[in-house]
Amino acid sequence: MSMLIVDMFKLAYKALIDRKVRSVLTVLGITVGSAIILALIASSSGLNAGITANIQKTGANILTIRNAGGFFSAGSTNTYLLSQTDVNYLKGLPDVVHVYPYYSYGASIVSGGSTLSASVIGIDLSALPILYNGLTVAEGTIPLTGDTTSAAVGWSIANPISGTPIGLHQMVEMTVTGIKGAKSGGISYAVLASAILTQYGTALFSNIDDTVFISFQAATYLSKSPYFTGIYVVVDNTNDVATVQNTITTYYGSNVRVISPGQILSSIQSITGQLTIFLGSIGAVSLFVATVGIVNTMYVSVMERTREIGILKAIGYRPKQIMGMFLSEAALTGAIGGVTGLMLGYALSFLMGGELAGSTFGGRFGGGGGGGAAIVPVFSTELIIFALTFPVLLATVAGLYPAWRASRMNAVAALKYE
Amino acid sequence: MPSNGQLAVQTVDLTKVYKVGHTEYPALRGVNLKIEKGEFVAIMGPSGSGKSTLLNLIGALDRQTSGKVIIEGIDLRKLGEDKLSLLRNHKLGFVYQSFNLIQRLSSIENVEMPLIARGMPERIRRSKSRKMLSAVGLASKAEKRPTELSGGEQQRVAIARALVTQPTLIIADEPTGNLDSKTTQEVVDQFIGVNKAFGTTILVVTHNPDIAERTQHIISIRDGLIEKDEYLQRIDSYSLG
Repeated sequence: MSMLIVDMFKLAYKALIDRKVRSVLTVLGITVGSAIILALIASSSGLNAGITANIQKTGANILTIRNAGGFFSAGSTNTYLLSQTDVNYLKGLPDVVHVYPYYSYGASIVSGGSTLSASVIGIDLSALPILYNGLTVAEGTIPLTGDTTSAAVGWSIANPISGTPIGLHQMVEMTVTGIKGAKSGGISYAVLASAILTQYGTALFSNIDDTVFISFQAATYLSKSPYFTGIYVVVDNTNDVATVQNTITTYYGSNVRVISPGQILSSIQSITGQLTIFLGSIGAVSLFVATVGIVNTMYVSVMERTREIGILKAIGYRPKQIMGMFLSEAALTGAIGGVTGLMLGYALSFLMGGELAGSTFGGRFGGGGGGGAAIVPVFSTELIIFALTFPVLLATVAGLYPAWRASRMNAVAALKYE
Repeated sequence: MPSNGQLAVQTVDLTKVYKVGHTEYPALRGVNLKIEKGEFVAIMGPSGSGKSTLLNLIGALDRQTSGKVIIEGIDLRKLGEDKLSLLRNHKLGFVYQSFNLIQRLSSIENVEMPLIARGMPERIRRSKSRKMLSAVGLASKAEKRPTELSGGEQQRVAIARALVTQPTLIIADEPTGNLDSKTTQEVVDQFIGVNKAFGTTILVVTHNPDIAERTQHIISIRDGLIEKDEYLQRIDSYSLG
């Protein structure tokens, strides 16, 4: 003997349709608020997933040692330089399986009228598969240790977006910059492409696809320096990374900087987390405003329909049923807003993903498929369920007071209402 | 005075006092009446005499200040809000001067409304409502909205809505107040037909002596008291109409 839920929603639907413009505007508030929140959560978890994948690709068991004056401690006056002595020390540490000193420079390659910017990394080339998990050769073979004329070339250098592609066994001509003591315009340098690497993305702070890997010996000749840019230390397993890092930090004090992937991951995640909270709170405010909008619309609607409420009372609707009817109008508003908000949020997140990828932040740490790859927003099942239920919940709560007022109206007064 | 022994409505020393600020306005000052099942009753009286107040109390829409309202043996004071709603839905049907239809719903949807409250499945309530609309001669206007209907047609939809629940008592508050004389006669005919066919008790508040003439029982009210309570001699006169 109780009103059917389906009838309640049918009546609610008819009531909303009867006030089309107002209903659409109310729904729109929910749509926008919900879409903003969803887009933010989805793209920031996409960003996070991209970064996490990146760092996991690099390998959580690799520590990077750099002299303290580098990128990660700007303004430092420390002048300690990394040399073979340090390599020997690091090789002697327990749980350390490999130690790879490397040189890293900037480079520009003029190709068919456009200039590509690239990196040159000089390292023991047999280390590539160890340092860059899953990196393989597309064509050719990795140069042997001691080969000072050949290089392994990153995917984007061999296949530039604009410019002439570089084929296997062709010369790569470039201008190498950032070598201490060299002339300011850079040094002209040419190597033979004996291997072209597969597309890989970013790892260990370089975009592999934009990198020309030359042998350690070649880099030594090029730089004319016994001091390295940095040293990679490969630890036997992830659990020992912290211990090894502590040992090294204790030994060197502030002379060097020891960077672990986990550390970077957590610091980047804290930045993206704060970004999400900040932008998410803007979305939350707009959703809150939309909720107040529902309270307002519902309240006005209840007042306007006073007479109708009187009729419902006269023909035997119970107070709870009247309350239910108005609550289902609110819930329906929320449900429609939730669905449209999810659709708009989905579209919006891809727009935002593209924007973020365009920035250095996204480009450097974003998607795995190359330098400017878009961040792929992540819509988890939880997020979708949240997107579809939360607006309904919010709208229903917003409808409580107006619906309660409707249910408590005096029938006689309501029927007299003009 | 005819008697079949069963009362549809009884009031005992019924009073209703409205309070505005500290001033009290007594609308009813001790009304005692008895209406038997199957009667067609007119309640008459000038404006402000308390007849609408009486109707609201009998219709379980309002609470009295003192005294009793008994509908088919049920003392309304003993019922809570939900039970009163249930009583209105199952035993009472209302017809108003201003029709009180829901404007955005079609005729048939308006007629269905009281059945929806009962949780009756759509198929069953549709067919009941359609039958009732046919009975009032509006089968062809089932999908029309109130704004597309004449006053007389709207009132017939309202009557169909009141009847669809098969109530035992119909309460009509100046049901022909907004209608011309021809339509008035049609509506009254409708009431008489229902009264005869189903034995439904009908209580009509009216200013119109022609309508009162066609009932069996006229209760006149003045200043919150029953002035006159008379049974017409020609009990079957309406059947000639």
